[in-house]
Amino acid sequence: MADMKVGAYICKGCGIGERLNVAQLVNIAQKEGKAPIAREHEFLCNASGVEMIKNDIANEGVNHVVIAACSRRAKAETFNFDNVAVNRTNLREGVIWVTPADDDKKEIVQEMAADYIRMGCAEVKKMEAPQANPNHGNNRRILVVGGGISGMTAALEASKTGYDVLLVEKTGALGGWAAKLWKRVPNREPYADPMDSGVDAMIQAVSGDKRITVHLNSTVTKTSGAPGQFSVDISKESGGTSTENVGAIIMASGFTQFDANKLSHYGYGKSANVVDQAGLEELAKKANGGAIKRADGKEVKSVVFVQCAGQRSPKEGELSYCSGHCCNTSIKQAMYFKDQNPGIDAMVMYTDLRTPGNGEDFYRSAQKKGVIFTKGWPKEVSASGELKFKDVILNEEVSTTPDLIVLATGQIANSGVNIDEVKQDEPGQWASTPQSVLNMVYRQGKDLPQLVHGFNDSHFICFPYETRRTGIYTCGPVRRPMDMAQAIEDATGATLKAIQAVENASLGRAAHPRSGDLSFPSFRKEGCTQCKRCTVECPFGAIDEDEQRFPVFNEGRCRRCGTCMGACPVRVISFENYSVETVATQIKAVDMPDQFDEKPRILVLACENDAYPALDMAAMNRIQYSAFTRVIPVRCLGSVNTNWVVESLNAGYDGVMLMGCQKGDNYQCHFVKGSELAHVRMSKIDDTLKGLSLEVERVQTYEVAITDIERAPKLINEMAETINKIGLSPLKF
Amino acid sequence: MAEVVATNETILVVGGGISGMTAALEAAECGKNVVLIEKNPSLGGRVSQLYRYFPKLCHPTCGLEINLKRLRGNKRIRVLTLAEVAKVEGKSGDYSVTVNIKPRYVNENCTACGACGEAVSAEIPNPFNYNLSKIKAAYLPNAMAYPQRFVLDASIIGTPEADKAKAACKYNAIDLDQKEEILTIKAGAVVWATGWKPYDAAKIQPYGYDRIANVITSVEFERLADPHGPTGGKLLRPSDGKEAKNVAFIQCAGSRDRNHLKHCSRICCMASLKQTNYVTEKYGDEGQSSIYYIDIRAIDRFEDFYQKVRANKTVKFIKSKVANITEDKATGNPVLHGVDTEGYHRYDNAHDLVVLAVGMEPNVDAGKIMPGGVVADVSGFIDINSTTEAVFGAGCASNALDVNRAVQSATAASLRAIQVVNRVSRAEV
Amino acid sequence: MTTQAVEKYHNDFLKEVEKNVEMGHMVKMCMQCGVCSGSCPLGPAWEHPPQEIFMMIRAGKRDEVLTSDSMWMCTSCYNCIVRCPRELPITHIMHGLANYAHRLGIAPKQNPTRRFAQMFWKNITSTGRVNELKLSVGLYFMDGIASGIKKGLEMLPVGLGLMKTKRLDPMGMVSGHGCKGRADIQKMIKKATEIEDKRKGYAA
Repeated sequence: MADMKVGAYICKGCGIGERLNVAQLVNIAQKEGKAPIAREHEFLCNASGVEMIKNDIANEGVNHVVIAACSRRAKAETFNFDNVAVNRTNLREGVIWVTPADDDKKEIVQEMAADYIRMGCAEVKKMEAPQANPNHGNNRRILVVGGGISGMTAALEASKTGYDVLLVEKTGALGGWAAKLWKRVPNREPYADPMDSGVDAMIQAVSGDKRITVHLNSTVTKTSGAPGQFSVDISKESGGTSTENVGAIIMASGFTQFDANKLSHYGYGKSANVVDQAGLEELAKKANGGAIKRADGKEVKSVVFVQCAGQRSPKEGELSYCSGHCCNTSIKQAMYFKDQNPGIDAMVMYTDLRTPGNGEDFYRSAQKKGVIFTKGWPKEVSASGELKFKDVILNEEVSTTPDLIVLATGQIANSGVNIDEVKQDEPGQWASTPQSVLNMVYRQGKDLPQLVHGFNDSHFICFPYETRRTGIYTCGPVRRPMDMAQAIEDATGATLKAIQAVENASLGRAAHPRSGDLSFPSFRKEGCTQCKRCTVECPFGAIDEDEQRFPVFNEGRCRRCGTCMGACPVRVISFENYSVETVATQIKAVDMPDQFDEKPRILVLACENDAYPALDMAAMNRIQYSAFTRVIPVRCLGSVNTNWVVESLNAGYDGVMLMGCQKGDNYQCHFVKGSELAHVRMSKIDDTLKGLSLEVERVQTYEVAITDIERAPKLINEMAETINKIGLSPLKF
Repeated sequence: MAEVVATNETILVVGGGISGMTAALEAAECGKNVVLIEKNPSLGGRVSQLYRYFPKLCHPTCGLEINLKRLRGNKRIRVLTLAEVAKVEGKSGDYSVTVNIKPRYVNENCTACGACGEAVSAEIPNPFNYNLSKIKAAYLPNAMAYPQRFVLDASIIGTPEADKAKAACKYNAIDLDQKEEILTIKAGAVVWATGWKPYDAAKIQPYGYDRIANVITSVEFERLADPHGPTGGKLLRPSDGKEAKNVAFIQCAGSRDRNHLKHCSRICCMASLKQTNYVTEKYGDEGQSSIYYIDIRAIDRFEDFYQKVRANKTVKFIKSKVANITEDKATGNPVLHGVDTEGYHRYDNAHDLVVLAVGMEPNVDAGKIMPGGVVADVSGFIDINSTTEAVFGAGCASNALDVNRAVQSATAASLRAIQVVNRVSRAEV
Repeated sequence: MTTQAVEKYHNDFLKEVEKNVEMGHMVKMCMQCGVCSGSCPLGPAWEHPPQEIFMMIRAGKRDEVLTSDSMWMCTSCYNCIVRCPRELPITHIMHGLANYAHRLGIAPKQNPTRRFAQMFWKNITSTGRVNELKLSVGLYFMDGIASGIKKGLEMLPVGLGLMKTKRLDPMGMVSGHGCKGRADIQKMIKKATEIEDKRKGYAA
């Protein structure tokens, strides 16, 4: 790397030149910021401004650039230079748009801008242009776990895209649940009749695909490594294990049908007249298009489908959620009867009939075929097969005795072990368990974290594939209860993400949400105290431990949030362009007025995805906040090291505000726990404050949403007010 | 207009809402070159006009911020706004797409400083707020707008207002001579993510959307709840600006109806359940929500959300398709008439405000643009199973989907497009 | 026609309705939204509104449906048909059910709509043209002489007014007021009844 040379460029456009003394700022950049090149420009983002910077990079050896202009959220493409460290000092949204233009405020506004120039120059000197993770793998093969519809779809789609696939199926045959179906719910117009499941053709396609290697009667007994360089042990039921390398993993382990034996009040197991939906598929397959007969051989002339059996239920041991597919499945199964013999009585008893989208056509088609739908709440089924229920429309307690009762039970995810409930193996003592799907040799457990109800879903609405184990994607009913049509879409989407993961890994880049980020964490082992906070708190299970309890970073699994950096009490973890130092140096760069100046300083550490944009948009609406504020954007509140807070208090800041996103059950943190961790860490800072003889009000942590355009400035002003009341910090020198 | 470099290994994504942005970003992050075109002046689509998402009640702009960040940092995506596809010709792996680009009258020099907006006095109805408020005729479409660039409304071009805007701009960003442009873009595959539009509520005659001031649509209600919407986040009803504390939500307004949309729009139950939260958020126990429904379709783990709303004592559920709405002239209250079918109870219920959970109509005219290339079902959605060409439906252009499913669908469509361009590149090696 | 044994929530009665009632095959298409029940201008007068009747048919409540006077309330305003999201011809089904109950002889005997309908039918089929005077007078005296006189007196000013403007011929009570080819019309009606009975499976 060539010697560091800082170039600072200060824009005078958008009113900056009118509101601020730019010449003084240039001077500060040179003298205090030690920028050998410091230039002002009337309109930095236009062609001549950008050309000027490019020219300095090419011909003057500038490799650290400070752009003092608008927010980093504006003109990002314009100020995008390869292989140089870039700081965006925010004079527009951060200073002139949030402060009054009054003459008597001119001094403090200028001080605000000057501090930001100092901070920008200080930060950029501690940054390096990220050079991508050198410890990356190039394996592009995709492992698919599970050979049902989801898994086979993933395998075929990956192959079609040009990627090799290893498909592991624990039973002796491909096909999964779909292979057990007589017919499937239609996925195309006219959405009127059950259709062939297509599973046989799919099995054939998989078997005949040269890119796909299938392991039947096999399970994954060990998974280690990172995207681009996973190592997996595939063990045969009959014995024998092979170790394979893959670049990404798709977990399509499917679901298990809810155990209908738990529904003895609906006669299951007591009356021969009661089956579940899977049981009916068996009967239909056996009938092979002829009359469907009960287990006792009697031809079924009347059938009732009981929806939500053991689902949408508050009862202990039953499922509280809806499995989504069951209304359409019962409609399909009712058609098995009606299509074979229209004279058969078929009734679907439901609470809410849930056939979204074109499922409505399928519902209508069933009615046309004579299937009867009754809004009813089942009470019980007697041993003789009498179903007692409440007809909700007619408001009556009634009963009926059909030849057959079908219980529409729910899906339970095959998500392996719940890592939040089992104790993790100590390093060096890892052993595989048969309950696990992936048997990951990760410090945080063998399988993917579960979200709710045992499903390995993503928490996010906008990002269904935002996995918590980089390079491993779930799809199908293990992710969320779903029907076949959705499972196929889901598996196709997951395949893209797996392919993207191997492509990014081979370039040493981060995956979503910091996609394309080339920085990666590095760690200074000499300073490490083996406290394990980083390994425990990493939201993505990226850090393992060696037998001496030193952290082992798997950069390929890292999502670059910096939670480890925030957790580390000895500050040995850093990124090239984001570290304890890059922020601490900014904190220190602020010119601290002495105690008698009556100019407080408020430090705001703002999450770059929510709070920082909220402050930006406040600026766009010209909503003002205290000019004594100095805002530093952070990747995630989880990356905030308590050291920063202590340092700033020691440096004489009068207030410190942490703004992160919503925590708790509906957390909005895309790094899962960042905001939560920051709140926990800061709750312990009171002792430190007391030790410094400071009021606890001086340090506050907030949940701020991106829409808090009015609230975020208000919070700052409230802090300014608080400081006004309790007085300035006595720690100014 | 800078030249758009595209080859038959480029993926063209039509529509810059959440589905289109997802399809474009996912492909680009797999290393593919993408051209993303959007007919509005900024990206974000319909979800950016929502106040909150169900079931987390988080804000759509949070995810939008991440997507925009991904987009700003990705050099493989070229975004064209105010652009609409006129024609698609060619075949799988080798398309030629004609795109019409409307003038913005503002060029790349724009810094979004706002000087033109201040200079202009003419106002236009604000489409971002479903025309419930006005905005200056030189405007930034919304606070999250990408590109972050102003637009001059065509209505002021040729008037002194436009000259005022031009005079106010210090950066030579206003170009009043811009004309509509026609571009031809090559592409190997096309992802059609043109989204949906709210069903025209005025067509549901008995509900009086066009006659009764206090009958509004669910998308309009989102804007009322949004602190940056036309009422500053207050639930003020249109007739008299009174706070609407007793709100009725009518499900299947246009959906599941042979007279209107025959399909179920899937999202409306969840959207109304979510909106009852807005009422509670503003008024606590003083608020009152009533949901008139046929079936509550809270699929899979959305059931948890439904049960939470059910536990809210201020929310009533009435299993009934409302027959008609009349207006109490004295109070301006809409009065709902119908029968609660659970045990047969007639009602004539007055509410402060009625929100019609309007159905989702596909915003797809791909069939016209590319005859034979895209098969739409009778509801007008692109049939993803029948697509034989390399034009792939994504998101709500292909089905009535919630955001999560739309993103899933867009990711899948993106892979299908990648498969086509990969075949092209393999063939050319 | 024998009364069938109906098992609850089996489809026997529904099938009977499908076979015998005009548009009865559409009953199964109802999704219980209730818009018909709410749309009926005579709604409050119904014991069982249409959507509930459809559910009762599916539940096998044969007697309750057929002896009900609810479907006799229908005035053919067609509001329900226009609004039904499933395009059920509710008006026709209501009349069909009433007609079927009547044919079976189990329709409520004293139901005024039914009686008026019968009176109207008799009136029009005997001469081929409605004799309004006879029909009105018959209607007034439907419930006995005392109430007939009362109603007649109430309507007297209207009647006189109509007479003055020659809209009412008092001779109508005695004159034939028939149409030409009255016998032919009766023949046609007879034939049509035969055809309908045959189609619906009634013994002639």
